[in-house]
Amino acid sequence: MKTKSLLLVAVDFLIMFAGLGIIMLNQYPNIDYSPMPWALGAAVMGIVIQLFLVKGRYSSDIWVFPMVLFFSSLGIIMLARLKPILCVPQLRWLMIGMVVMLGVLYFSRQLKNMMQYQYILGICTLVVLCLSLLFGVEIGGSKNWLVLGPISVQPSEFGKILLVLFLAAFLSDHGEMLNAAKRKFLFLDLPPIRFIAPLLVIWGIAILMFVVQRDLGSALLFFCMAVFMTYMGTGSKSYVFIAMLFFGLGAAVSYAFFSHVQVRFNIWLDPWADPAGQAYQVVQSLFAFAAGGVWGTGFTHGHPGLIPEVHTDFIFSAVAEELGLLGCTVIMMVYVMLFYRGIMIAMNCKKELHTLVAAGFSIALFTQAFIIIAGVTKFLPLTGITLPFISYGGSSMVSGFIMIGLLLSLSKKEKVHGA
Amino acid sequence: MGHKDIKKYILHCSLFMMACFLCLFGYIVYLQVIAAPSLAANPMNRRGNAALDITRGAILDINGRELAKSSQPGERSYPYGEIMAPVTGYLGETIGSDGIESVAGNDLTGQSQQLQMLGPIGQAMQSTQGNNVKLTVDADIQQLAYEALGNHRGAVLVMNAETGAIIAMVSKPTVDPTDVESNWKSLTAREDSPLLNRATQGLYPPGSTIKVLIADAALDEKVTDLNEKFNCNGKLQIGNEYIGESHGAVHGNNLILKDALTESCNVTFGTLAMRMHGKGLESAFDRFGFTTPINSEFNESKCHLPKFSSLGDGDTAQVGIGQGETLVTPLRMAMLASAYVNHGKIMVPYLVEEVISPVGLVIRKASPSKWMDVTSEKRANIIGGFMENVVTNGTGGAAAVSGVRVIGKTGTAENSQGADHGWFIGAAELPKGKIAFCIIVENSGGGGTVAAPIARQIITALKDR
Repeated sequence: MKTKSLLLVAVDFLIMFAGLGIIMLNQYPNIDYSPMPWALGAAVMGIVIQLFLVKGRYSSDIWVFPMVLFFSSLGIIMLARLKPILCVPQLRWLMIGMVVMLGVLYFSRQLKNMMQYQYILGICTLVVLCLSLLFGVEIGGSKNWLVLGPISVQPSEFGKILLVLFLAAFLSDHGEMLNAAKRKFLFLDLPPIRFIAPLLVIWGIAILMFVVQRDLGSALLFFCMAVFMTYMGTGSKSYVFIAMLFFGLGAAVSYAFFSHVQVRFNIWLDPWADPAGQAYQVVQSLFAFAAGGVWGTGFTHGHPGLIPEVHTDFIFSAVAEELGLLGCTVIMMVYVMLFYRGIMIAMNCKKELHTLVAAGFSIALFTQAFIIIAGVTKFLPLTGITLPFISYGGSSMVSGFIMIGLLLSLSKKEKVHGA
Repeated sequence: MGHKDIKKYILHCSLFMMACFLCLFGYIVYLQVIAAPSLAANPMNRRGNAALDITRGAILDINGRELAKSSQPGERSYPYGEIMAPVTGYLGETIGSDGIESVAGNDLTGQSQQLQMLGPIGQAMQSTQGNNVKLTVDADIQQLAYEALGNHRGAVLVMNAETGAIIAMVSKPTVDPTDVESNWKSLTAREDSPLLNRATQGLYPPGSTIKVLIADAALDEKVTDLNEKFNCNGKLQIGNEYIGESHGAVHGNNLILKDALTESCNVTFGTLAMRMHGKGLESAFDRFGFTTPINSEFNESKCHLPKFSSLGDGDTAQVGIGQGETLVTPLRMAMLASAYVNHGKIMVPYLVEEVISPVGLVIRKASPSKWMDVTSEKRANIIGGFMENVVTNGTGGAAAVSGVRVIGKTGTAENSQGADHGWFIGAAELPKGKIAFCIIVENSGGGGTVAAPIARQIITALKDR
């Protein structure tokens, strides 16, 4: 059984090399071989890591990693096809991501200990998010980038991890109190304000991101995470209700006062009102889905280049056009399986804290995939955010692998010490 | 609050997200299977034309002359340049397409819905050479009409009244389709809208040309008859406003409907419109198809009609003389005229005569079909007779061609952009068939002096063919 998982990794890289091969044949006679060494390096690394995981020293899960590699391979061949100059950087990020994941696994004992320091985590979360609020630089319409010399980082990608860790620590520690010390107010059970304060701060920051940074995607994800985590930690429907109220108010106020929010929402309501202007991207994305149909146009045979920024937020539309409904189904199924494995890991954790962390990461990745797929299909208003492991982006790739690393380390069976 | 509870709540959240994901998946299935055909047919969708590895087929005129051709993928030339631009339209990787390049895009690239349904397998069967598209347009007539417009802005539309085939579709100013993509920004910003096909998309007040329809409607509503004598003292007083005659003419008190149309008497037609009220006018515009889209090869603008039921007397009278809020396209006015030489029927207008495969096989051939019956044959003959009188004895004399029955109606449309637009709509019975036409010359003054002579040139040229 364990060695069979190696087969999955092999299939992942087969997809990658088949895709790269097709692209090279298309380039004939001026073939660009530059991605090949990187691809080979990534493949060797992937196989070695899987062999290492199979040994089970730091992790007991052997299925999550092949699924992540599936997404990465697909992302790389789509990038090689859509934006060839970003193919090598993405391969590089994939390798960096895998190294980071190994690091996380290696230091998993220490990291697990650190998970308990809720207030330090809380402060870290605040600092990371405020960094981008204060020093954010605008790239591609969102002011959520930090430029550190030659590299640009999206702090929100890492803030996401810290947020899950902080909420998990806070809730596993205070869950009891949050639930016990209730006061009736109308039909809501309200806890004392000092318990709910950290949650209010998180929600407030999410709204700020929404408004100041125009980073609607991260804001929505943060908000969903805060609500999910709170519910998972306390089971209180009152929190969910308050959060929804908060969200509704925030959305209504920002719709009333900020034109960029209005624009997004109006595009969603009726993209055909201005299909050549503001709704151009979404309309082109819908055309891509239509062009793909059930079977897709075939890899490299579509025209996803008509969608602006197709290689980041809209990469799923490119998949839909060239690989069709079949490709979409496979990707969505693998996300579901990844989610299932993550939740299974959470269910098998012995400590509440670890359960919450594992479930938090699983839901974070799954929700992120949901938000962006729903956005590019106009199922929900479009909010720019990456498709985990598939879209181009170093921050997103590395933070994804950190989450996977922590998830894998939490899958390791352990003895309960303390409670 | 134990660990078990937390697991239960995690399960709740997971199931909730799974349900959301399932809904999303269902929506994507809907998008890619059920909604796909209509999205693929959307004119904003440039994918049909983006097929870069295919050599597009040629666009030919009715005599087989090339209006657009490609020798290799991605290359396209237009031998007639700006003259044919309203017909061929343009094409560009970043700007999409218009005209026949857009409407017949799938034919020109040899793609078909059936092949697209096959996905990757269809890619393998895709030919590298698109089909040729042969149009009903006659390049000679198009060129003649284009030159006849001179330096004026305007449009000319000539169609076969018995089949609906478009013989010429001229719009001025235009630009050579090869230059459109490189100058896109400046062209779309230009005040004289060179990319607008005025023949099908230009919206103009119809002026007196609408009196043809009003006369028809007045007889239909029985608010007058052929013998009633109208009295024109040069002014129609309606409350505080009045409608006057052009050039201060007074048509006297012995005016029957035929004379009123021949002299284009505003007082008579303002009166008739008021007698019919909004309701009668609304049903007349409906009957002539002004509210019905032509489901075909034209990217036409919707005619703009006033909200008839809420019009006051003064505005109702304005409808009767083609002023006020009513805005129509030259295509629709040519179609209106065609009914009077075609037994009260209007045919579906069309541009694509044949689609021919690269090896010369005719894949599809147009079959003329009736669009709608707009008036009775008897009344078509009566009004047609009136319109003949306009050319023989009235304002349209400049369109007369000896040996040919020509009917017509002039129009002078006041507008906010300056001097009046000159209209001439009508039809001619030529040895080889009946044609209908509509000519509008922007800011040229009276239709009888500028537009009608262009009709004469066209009829003369077509007479000998």
